Amino acid sequence: MTARAGSQPDPYETGDDGTSNAMFAALLEDSAEELYESAPCGYLSTLMDGTIAKINLTLLDWLGMEREAVVGRMRFTDLLTMGGKLYHETHFAPLLRMRNEISGIALEIRQADGDRRPVLVSSAVKLSGNGEPLLIRTTLFDARDRRAYEEELLRERKAAEEARREAEADRARLQDALAALQQSLLPTTLPPVPGLETAAYYRAASPDQLGGDFYDLFPVDGKSFAFFLGDVCGKGPQAAAVTSLTRYTLRAAALHDPDPVSALSTLNTVLHERYTGGDPRYCTAVFGILEPDPATGETAVRLASGGHPPALVLRADGRVDFLPTPGGVLVGILPSAPFATASTTLAPATLSCSTPTASPRPAPDRTAPPCTATRRCVPSPPPTPAGPRTPSSRP
Amino acid sequence: MSPLQITVRNAASGPVLGIIGELDHTTAPQLRDLLATLTLQPGQRLVLDLGRMQFCDSSGITALIVARNHALAAQADITLAAVPAHTLRVLHIVGLDQVFRLNPDSQAATQP
Amino acid sequence: MDIARRNNVTETGNPDGPTVVLAHGFGCDQNMWRLTVPALVAEYRVVLFDYVGSGRSDLSAFSEDRYASLEGYAQDAVEVAETLDLRDAVFVGHSVSAMIGVLAAGMAPERFGALVMVAPSPRYIDDEGYRGGFSAQDIDELLESLESNYLGWSAAMAPVIMGNGDRPELGEELTSSFCATAPDMARVFARTTFLSDSRDALAGVAVPTLVLECTQDVIAPREVGAFVHKAIPGSTLVTLDATGHCPHLSAPEATNAAITEFLAGLR
Repeated sequence: MTARAGSQPDPYETGDDGTSNAMFAALLEDSAEELYESAPCGYLSTLMDGTIAKINLTLLDWLGMEREAVVGRMRFTDLLTMGGKLYHETHFAPLLRMRNEISGIALEIRQADGDRRPVLVSSAVKLSGNGEPLLIRTTLFDARDRRAYEEELLRERKAAEEARREAEADRARLQDALAALQQSLLPTTLPPVPGLETAAYYRAASPDQLGGDFYDLFPVDGKSFAFFLGDVCGKGPQAAAVTSLTRYTLRAAALHDPDPVSALSTLNTVLHERYTGGDPRYCTAVFGILEPDPATGETAVRLASGGHPPALVLRADGRVDFLPTPGGVLVGILPSAPFATASTTLAPATLSCSTPTASPRPAPDRTAPPCTATRRCVPSPPPTPAGPRTPSSRP
Repeated sequence: MSPLQITVRNAASGPVLGIIGELDHTTAPQLRDLLATLTLQPGQRLVLDLGRMQFCDSSGITALIVARNHALAAQADITLAAVPAHTLRVLHIVGLDQVFRLNPDSQAATQP
Repeated sequence: MDIARRNNVTETGNPDGPTVVLAHGFGCDQNMWRLTVPALVAEYRVVLFDYVGSGRSDLSAFSEDRYASLEGYAQDAVEVAETLDLRDAVFVGHSVSAMIGVLAAGMAPERFGALVMVAPSPRYIDDEGYRGGFSAQDIDELLESLESNYLGWSAAMAPVIMGNGDRPELGEELTSSFCATAPDMARVFARTTFLSDSRDALAGVAVPTLVLECTQDVIAPREVGAFVHKAIPGSTLVTLDATGHCPHLSAPEATNAAITEFLAGLR
């Protein structure tokens, strides 16, 4: 070190290495106690039972308390809020006992003015030479900004969780509504028809998609039954609305006049009047009347079709026939539409009506009409048919 | 590239729309949108040339019906020209072969 | 259901000795008994477990409905006892687990023959004529405290989960799961614990019972220890010269002495 004779080093003089080193050393020496007391964090030393043995000025300032009121008189947990005390006893203290150190625990200290200050607490146990715990050293960092940020995060997370719960509840409600609506479009069971077995098979494309396919079977007077089956163009709520209109129109029409052409004509008028112009809504439909004859055990079938693929008849001998209805037009597109009729008698036989499969692109032969596939699907009849069977639908 | 292209030309009989590609659930709105902007005069004939239409599903059929409603509203006429066999079969099943005027020859369809 | 796996059941000690079940309280898991186990292993068969939602239990078995009441936790204890076919075991429960032990002994009297209640409290919230030490607002604060610490979970707890290289003597197994409770399940446990009121169950205790309390316990003040002692017919109260709520950690020698003396008296 160099120094000018007879004078103190000028603390403001620069460029002299020796002088700045001396300043630096002096500052460090001066600050050991000062650093502890005025550090930008709180310092605390406690006995193993938590009694505060030493505390720095910074922490006393935060607390708004005098050293005399704290040292030897209070425990660390006395500085905490009630929630903090509980957390300390259930988490902090056991963990510190287990590991002899713990860091970054979020707690709050109570200030004399009643306010609380969020802090991040780290503690370490000082051990004696033979490993006995002597005291606990603790630092507390002011975490007000961080806590505000965390609270913001928590709020956002809660809001997101709430939104998710609501969305799930909405979705469940929607599913229920869709299921109820779907059920209103289809019969839950088919009524027994004397001399006939009836069966229906319906499969929706997806659970939350309302289908446009419909069918029904119901008595129209003491001795005959009406059935219908069809397919409304499109899918979703709009299609379901048309399906609903179609079903109840056909039911009402059948009770008024059970003639198949008459029923389809009524439906045609209703759909055409309701849906015209740029958003046409229409359907294909087969409407039929079943007249079981108890005397013969046979059932007479009269049906009419509007643009629907022909029904199939499976005879007792295994023969499968179309019941052709050429010339019937889609229901709802013309002010007055022609419908084709057909009739047959089911003497041990199966009448099968179906809607085309949903597959939009039959490949490789795109022209294959669904009815061809259906005919292939009709099972062989049992060796000794029990009797006439019903319309069964197979969408 | 969209699987559906629509060409528009004016013949003596009226507008001729060439339907090229697939007319299905995703592409049918293209035709319906175009129809909404198409002006027809009374007595004109709207021709839909389906000679290069590769596929037509129920949404496509609906678009054809929209075209018909559009033409009738303008007191115009409509003809489906060169309907491919696959679509013709469907039109037959649903009875639309009686509703639309069909012309196997797209050139002839535009003759007044 | 594999109960032993679900509740992370650990067995140690003398397989031929009487059975002692050690049940942890809220906030921790079976590792909190690490200073107690050594005092018991020579003479007793020691069974440790974690309640579902704590420690290394099978978290997928957690149900908010079941664990919304202390009976749900007591059911855990009973099922562990049934799985091991325990008879007349001594149930040592810390904090809320002391009350869970009371309920479990009521549900399966043949399984549990004695109770040790370490720093018990049958009700934490003050009531008319009863001082539990807390207000409902205090409990809300604890829940907040839990939330803010779980938010910083990785920072605060990661060293524990990853093991502690400085203190290998604790062992990976020991430190790996200590207090590592899933936050939402801890919230349920906290609410169930601190909102519980099992005072009425105390009078029904019909087995020898040792009540251990600390001189300075923020969570279970002396009044509560006295209340429990008075309510349980024939119980023994021992006041440990210890601070805090975990005498088995802060004053293990005194705690162990009290427990072993009680156990010896049962034989």
